[in-house]
Amino acid sequence: MTSRQKRKLTEFLFLLPTLIAFLMVIIIPFIFGIYYSFTDWQGTGAVSQVVGFENYKAIFQEPGFLHSFLVTLLFTVLNIITVNVVAFLISLLVTSEIRGRNIYRAGFFVPNLIGGIVLGLVWQFIFSNILPSVGQSLGLPTLSKSLISNKDTVMITLVTVNTWQYAGYIMLIYVASIQGISKSVMEAAEVDGARYWTRVRKIQIPLMANAFTISLFLTLTNSFKMYDVNVALTNGGPVSIFMMKPVQASELLALNIYNTAFKYNNMAQGQAKAVIFFIVLTIFSVIQVTWNKSKEVEA
Amino acid sequence: MKKLIAIVLTLALMMTAVSALADIVIVQNKVEITSQMEDFAKLYEEKTGVPVKVITGGGSSDYNTVLKAEMQSGREPDIFVIEGPSSYELWKDKIADQTGAEWTQYTAAAYMVDGKAVGFPVAVEGYGLAYNKSILDKAGIDPATLTTYDAYAAAFEKLDSMKAELGLDMVVSMVAGTTTGMTWVTGLHNFNVYLTVGNERNDTTYIDQVLEGKVDEERFHQYCQYVALIFKYSDPDMLLNGTQDSQLAAFANGKAAFYHQGNWMDPSLVAMNPDFEIAYAPHAFLHEETDGILVNPPSWYVINENGNKDEALAYLNFLATSEEGADYMVNKAAMVPAFTNVTLAPSAPLSKSVMEWNAAGKTYDWQQYKLPDGFGMGTLGQIYELLASGGIDVDTFEVMMKDAIAGIAK
Repeated sequence: MTSRQKRKLTEFLFLLPTLIAFLMVIIIPFIFGIYYSFTDWQGTGAVSQVVGFENYKAIFQEPGFLHSFLVTLLFTVLNIITVNVVAFLISLLVTSEIRGRNIYRAGFFVPNLIGGIVLGLVWQFIFSNILPSVGQSLGLPTLSKSLISNKDTVMITLVTVNTWQYAGYIMLIYVASIQGISKSVMEAAEVDGARYWTRVRKIQIPLMANAFTISLFLTLTNSFKMYDVNVALTNGGPVSIFMMKPVQASELLALNIYNTAFKYNNMAQGQAKAVIFFIVLTIFSVIQVTWNKSKEVEA
Repeated sequence: MKKLIAIVLTLALMMTAVSALADIVIVQNKVEITSQMEDFAKLYEEKTGVPVKVITGGGSSDYNTVLKAEMQSGREPDIFVIEGPSSYELWKDKIADQTGAEWTQYTAAAYMVDGKAVGFPVAVEGYGLAYNKSILDKAGIDPATLTTYDAYAAAFEKLDSMKAELGLDMVVSMVAGTTTGMTWVTGLHNFNVYLTVGNERNDTTYIDQVLEGKVDEERFHQYCQYVALIFKYSDPDMLLNGTQDSQLAAFANGKAAFYHQGNWMDPSLVAMNPDFEIAYAPHAFLHEETDGILVNPPSWYVINENGNKDEALAYLNFLATSEEGADYMVNKAAMVPAFTNVTLAPSAPLSKSVMEWNAAGKTYDWQQYKLPDGFGMGTLGQIYELLASGGIDVDTFEVMMKDAIAGIAK
């Protein structure tokens, strides 16, 4: 064995534990999952029958799933916009000369440290108990009923809570990126007479393009996979009517998959939904990253 | 000195290893008696030296999910709970035969399959419309007359008109929200009223029809009217946002005359010290008279074929035959025991009422758990919520319910 081969072998051996773990918990379950989606597996015992594309056919005739799909798209779009706009604005705030900016930085980040379930329950209490009683005492009809149990406003509550939780995290990425911009560029622009918003628009935003790539990717996948806050805050409810059938107004895809698999005890169909979920999320992510990459510039 | 510490530590380690081999793990679904059950488990450990661990999933978290997770965790539970035929079917490969066990001679409510006793009845439970006797007295309503739809319609209307005088916020404390996870009250328990009220126990006419995707038109029409009646006289906010706690609070604080829950709420109800007499009135949804509440063992303990079978069986025998077991079931957990050897009578009002109805032989069966998984709580529960939120009227409700039931057969 040459020293080069030896080196390769050593490298491989060092990699092996991670590879094994990755195989065991990601690759193998993933392949099993795809297989199960073509069967009528119930979650216990062995597969009794391979059913081909039956599960996939059933999914696309199910109003609940189609509705979840649309609601998830809506949630993702709203959430990407609000999270990134809010995160960008507060990152400008905490990188400015404002007093106490370090306290703000910590403060905005703290919600991210609270678990989604706790956060969902706390906000559920706020939306269904505190806000209505405030609304009633002020005589505001729109506020005096729970925003969660109204099918038209429930998405607002989900987006609000997720933004509150996630904007602080994205803010950190923007802060790091803003601090990475060379001071001389900003000062030169200032000497040339560029106003604050011009500097933000013409210098900071273009130079932060890679931060936008990362942040948009994170918010896209995070919104698409949203589960914990969804369960704790709305549990998918309330009910609305879609294609003449009752559906859950705020049941996002991940929750729909969970409910199919565990509540309806239809593991194989839940698995088929998960495969579709994977494909769609991959397509969206690739499109987004490619598009964002094309906007990145070198300073 | 160092050596001594080392020896002590080693011994301690060995002790835990030994006891870990002999322990019993129970996965159960009654959230409301979690602490009582854990106390009983401790008592059992003190008496026998066998540690018992209780894992609870249920209420608004999903018991079946917890059970599946525990089954896949590598340390399968020794005792777990089945709620009826569909969970029996799911786990039958793992369920051990308990025929001939000591406890079986004291009960008629064991879960039987082909003449074999496989499930230990956790309790008998019942539900109807619990009423606040002092409010009904003030309104001049005799609960014994509440045996038809028309009697209820008149009583609700009368109470509704006297709300201010009686200090009521609503006539019926009822919940139906998907957000708060309360659809089991509507989609399972209330739906069972349609399935069994007025029938002999074990008469499966209506559930069989439903499983074929059909309903009895006239009976179903009357049932839908009854649901609409209850919702009409409940509080819209309670229906959609009410939790198990707020639903109870409204009744226990005298803000509601009726309460749509079963006697499993007794521990929480007693803790709130209601200062009035409470008993059950029947779910009489037909124009014809029906007089009985819905009573059944809600669930059964089964022993895992792969678990510590002997230890698990010893635990169940102790629970059924010892004084401590009787004290735990009746006094601590406020359950109505399914065992004839238990002579203690429950003091909690709802359980007492269930025992009285049961003794009078005026009970109807529970068949809601024969519905496919998720159908009652999920599919039907959503339609009930639509009616509760005013999204649909009662005629659309009836059509949508029939449509959903027709979907079972596909």
